[in-house]
Amino acid sequence: MATKTVQLEIKRQASPDAASDWERFEVEWRPGLNVTSALMDIALNPVTADGRPTTPVTYDSNCLEEICGSCAMRINGKARMACSTLIENIEQPVRIEPLSKFPLVRDLQVDRSVLFENLKAVKAWVPIDGTYDLGPGPRVFPQEQEVSYPLSNCISCTCCMEVCPQFTEETGFVGAATIAQVRLFNNHPTGSVLKEERLRALAGDGGIQECGFAQNCVEVCPKQLPLTNAISDVSRDVLIQKAKDCLRG
Amino acid sequence: MATAQYSSAPTVKKGVQPLRAGQGTSFIWRKLHSLLGIIPIGAFLLEHLLSNFEALKGPVAYGQQVRFLNSLPLVRVLEWVFIFLPILYHGLYGLYIWFRGKSNIVYYPWAGNWMYTAQRYTGLIAILYIGQHVLRQRFMGISLPENPGAAFAKVQHELANPWMLAVYIIAMIAICWHFAYGIWLFAAKWGITPGERARKRFGYVCTAIGIGLAIMGLASIWAFVGPTYRNAPDIVPLSSIAAPAVAGTHAG
Repeated sequence: MATKTVQLEIKRQASPDAASDWERFEVEWRPGLNVTSALMDIALNPVTADGRPTTPVTYDSNCLEEICGSCAMRINGKARMACSTLIENIEQPVRIEPLSKFPLVRDLQVDRSVLFENLKAVKAWVPIDGTYDLGPGPRVFPQEQEVSYPLSNCISCTCCMEVCPQFTEETGFVGAATIAQVRLFNNHPTGSVLKEERLRALAGDGGIQECGFAQNCVEVCPKQLPLTNAISDVSRDVLIQKAKDCLRG
Repeated sequence: MATAQYSSAPTVKKGVQPLRAGQGTSFIWRKLHSLLGIIPIGAFLLEHLLSNFEALKGPVAYGQQVRFLNSLPLVRVLEWVFIFLPILYHGLYGLYIWFRGKSNIVYYPWAGNWMYTAQRYTGLIAILYIGQHVLRQRFMGISLPENPGAAFAKVQHELANPWMLAVYIIAMIAICWHFAYGIWLFAAKWGITPGERARKRFGYVCTAIGIGLAIMGLASIWAFVGPTYRNAPDIVPLSSIAAPAVAGTHAG
């Protein structure tokens, strides 16, 4: 019985400063095969399609169910999660490249710490640390939960930043994910104590004003976050905050 | 004494740098760019297209409209503060925005991304067109503030050149597009239409505005090149109800 195979072309780069090249691989097809499982198959038997032994492909992944955000990469040119990309739904040969806007570590692995820095810069947390028991938090009404829940689904995959035409070294734009988290934490009854600080932070260079509203972020988001809605809402809040700051001197 | 200080230095070495929280002035410059596109530039565009529409009533009506505009108090100040300088700033800052972005329409050919790209190209067409338009119609040839009666013929001679006619038609469509999408962007980015459905509905409104303005503009162009007012006199006499055109700086 002839086995069906899958052709993959993977961009390889041994180190941040090394030259890159493409390698072709062939793995056996099976129902429900996704890109991460194909990469695992290659790791089991790291030999190229023309029979040359090579190193296993380096890539980030963890949960394998589109919840950890690790395995974002460019598959056939588009940024998406490798774990939720089923081979049977995409064109072959499958061309796999690392995300293009982040410093490359090796092969498909990139350094996405800029998102972590951005989340810290806007204080994307609920401040509850104290020297004594603060007691139970305030109630969050269901209506507020309805707003917050979709925003809380962000998996920090950075796809929204990768596809954003404004997310460049020249602008240093903060990106949609961080803005959505500002919306989330400003909406939280305890988190909102830092609201003004978050809004002021987002008016800094590389802040929310750099958004060009190309809306790629909301198109690409694997978790369907309402990113453009968040950008619009937070833009208004930032503007009002700046106006208040200006008038209060 | 030097003490160990808490360091918040980011750990990102290469690539896109993190947010410079609360630092810099780009927020105010970017918002100014955005606001100027609506007021005064958008408001001026409406005025200009309405005034042009007078051309459909003929050379005299058109000349009278030109004379009325030039009889506004402090008209030269208005012209610089509310037209020339805002357009110059909006145009130059717009180019600055364009050069710092990185279009990826090839990989992500989605509607919003097309609009993003189109807004940049129509803006470029607008800058080039307005540059030559202001030079040739405002600062070269017969001076219209002093001779409003010559307005119709001046435009007619310009549009007699088929290449120039093509430039005007392309620029008219591009500028109306840029303005219509600009209003939509303004509403989205200033938090006026934060909802998906609101943006969709307002999109229809902006489309109607853009198409309406473009039709008005093209109709005005037709008034200059169509058969109705062919070979208009170089200067038409205007009725003398209105005050003299210019406040005597360089008469004649």
